[in-house]
Amino acid sequence: MGIGIRSTPPDVGLVRDLTLPHLDAAYNLARWLMGSEQDAADLVHTAFLRAARYIHTYAGGNAKAWWLSIVRNCCIATLASRSRRDVSLDALAEDEPAQWPQANAATVEDTVHLSQCAALIVHHLEALPREFREVLVLREIEDCSYREIADILAVPVGTVMSRLARSRALLKKLLIENSVDAGTHGL
Amino acid sequence: MDCKAAAPMLHAYLDGELDRAAVDEIEEHLERCEQCVRELASLQGLRNVIREGAPRHAASASLRARLLASGDVPESAADQVSDLIPQKRRPTNAAVVPRWALAASLLMAFSLGIASMKWYALESAATTNRQALDSELLSSHLRALAAASPVDVVSTNRHTVKPWFAGKIGQSPPVLDPAADGFPLVGGRIDYVANQRVAVLVYGHGQHLIDAYLLPATAEDLQEMPRVLQGYRLAAIRVQDQPMWIVGDIDEQEFARFKNLLTAGVSR
Repeated sequence: MGIGIRSTPPDVGLVRDLTLPHLDAAYNLARWLMGSEQDAADLVHTAFLRAARYIHTYAGGNAKAWWLSIVRNCCIATLASRSRRDVSLDALAEDEPAQWPQANAATVEDTVHLSQCAALIVHHLEALPREFREVLVLREIEDCSYREIADILAVPVGTVMSRLARSRALLKKLLIENSVDAGTHGL
Repeated sequence: MDCKAAAPMLHAYLDGELDRAAVDEIEEHLERCEQCVRELASLQGLRNVIREGAPRHAASASLRARLLASGDVPESAADQVSDLIPQKRRPTNAAVVPRWALAASLLMAFSLGIASMKWYALESAATTNRQALDSELLSSHLRALAAASPVDVVSTNRHTVKPWFAGKIGQSPPVLDPAADGFPLVGGRIDYVANQRVAVLVYGHGQHLIDAYLLPATAEDLQEMPRVLQGYRLAAIRVQDQPMWIVGDIDEQEFARFKNLLTAGVSR
């Protein structure tokens, strides 16, 4: 290894190869986390520069997960610096053994009409705490595997599974509670 | 298996994360348990609602251009400690094959052992170069064979495969099951070929697997004889008016028989 610190230009070709195939995924994630087109676009650009700067940390493996984890970290840092409040994960009780939401006889489609839901779903997803929203976006919209989500969030697969179950239960609850038919089903 | 054990598995089942043994276990439970079936339907319903109503935002052309123009990334001498050696960028563990979500070019480099990852031009649209496509198809096929499971969704009596694709991909593949002729449908998955998400149907034949990719094909491709690449046969065919590419290492005669069965629309 060299003596002292050498500065070498990052291999931009490599950075592009790793990130551009997943640009839509990155933008989609940023859009759902940041809430606006402009913020999402700026964020993705910032994340790209960061990816270039930290390209040496990429050691092979899932490029999409590596890139999306950078995008996500940039989102979190930007959001945190804007809001002085800390988002505490304690409220989510991550350390408790996975408590699977009770099986519930009402099907979402039984209680709420699909077309009504579709209109409301964006509203409810945006209302979810970020930790729940991001797993749902990554799983249901980006179609990431549990392994990929675990790599992106830097948590074990078991945490992804329990958080996903809780997110689904919470979203379902919001949909049912806010539907017109809520009164007709014993909830 | 009781409901308490089944509950967490329902999510993994819905997400295609269970191995075949676990799939058998949970399906057996579902045959006997109405409550879990309702819960599963509820989860599927929630998924439908999300897919229906929550948009997948795509990057604008101007954002893409912005990134492409970021050619000269500013260096900061203080934090650019570099002992970067080219080999470090290559995946070191060849035994663990990544799932289908990896970028096409990385997979190409990985499975074909090509040193430079810029071998495949990512900025271009779907390649019209037949050789590159053949290589990519083979690469994808090999990767699937090496993976823990070549399918993301298993074919069962309830015809789970076709509906599984809906909402995941723009165009659903034509699902045939010539099981009585010795080519049972094993299941399906979504893979990456030529920079696109592609629907793949997986068929069995004895100990072998044949992949059928829903991907455009030219008139020339469709007329050509099957090609052989590293011992694997590839051919472009039309199934119920949709172009598909089939890849497998079965002999010429059986490959031709399979080709004919699909082309004729046989499903029994």
